[in-house]
Amino acid sequence: MVTAETFKRGVNKGLSTTWELTKVVVPVYIFVTFLSYTPILEWLAKACQPFMYYLGLPGEASLALVMGMSINLYAAIGVMTTLALTSKEVTILAMMLLLCHSLPMETAVAKRTGVSGSFVVIMRLILSLISGLILNILM
Amino acid sequence: MDYVAFLKDAISGSLDQVMIMGAIIIPLMLILEIAKDFGVMDKFSMTLRPLMKLFKVSDKGSIPIMAGLVFGIGYGAGVIIDSAKSGDLNYRDLYLINIFLLVCHSIFEDTALFVVLGADFTFLVVSRLILAIIVTLIFSRWKKLMVQNVNLQNNGKVDNQHA
Repeated sequence: MVTAETFKRGVNKGLSTTWELTKVVVPVYIFVTFLSYTPILEWLAKACQPFMYYLGLPGEASLALVMGMSINLYAAIGVMTTLALTSKEVTILAMMLLLCHSLPMETAVAKRTGVSGSFVVIMRLILSLISGLILNILM
Repeated sequence: MDYVAFLKDAISGSLDQVMIMGAIIIPLMLILEIAKDFGVMDKFSMTLRPLMKLFKVSDKGSIPIMAGLVFGIGYGAGVIIDSAKSGDLNYRDLYLINIFLLVCHSIFEDTALFVVLGADFTFLVVSRLILAIIVTLIFSRWKKLMVQNVNLQNNGKVDNQHA
């Protein structure tokens, strides 16, 4: 039976779940925004540049990967639009980023439900790298 | 570093984030409660039953997986947190659902971003789904996870393990 009680329960659950996630999302969002204001991500991207060759990507693509993994997909797309990429390169980047993105945010949220954060990050990084390597060979 | 711009970005951005979450999670929870009281929740759970059977996860796992696939990980997690609280899913179920969703979530919105740049939608979605199924299947057959699960159930603590 659907009664007024149902609606009350639904809204209450919605509010408490939103609050539960807010406690996780806001601190991480602030941290990630801070990160994007520092040169750290650019240094990291520079350090990764030489390895892009193995993924079939131009060196500058490392910034898209670093931004996507540490901030979010929109940041990565922002970088990608400034690069002249072939369709093979777009597909490789898309696949790698779809498997592994917004790591601080998504890991923090997943941790609330009980999984180990480091396990999740390592798993996603490995999956992303392997898929990049394989796509580069196959395509 | 421009501290004023940073503060502005951090505050307005996180507020936006919370508003969007509320705008999706509150209606989502409302719909799920209505579905429960209509008695159609079992039908919802059936949608991904073959997949849940493959992972040896409770049929109820279909609901957070659907929410995560369509809306994204945060919303899937919202439903997972709720299911964990109500005891619908045990630790092993939660773990496997999480692994699945971390590999493959928000299939429409995230993928669309790359389609705009020229990537192939079907290829990306299908390969991500297949990868998620393979990875989850591997972990679902991992003995250590099973043992851990039994221990947890014996202790009567099923949810909120690492939280």
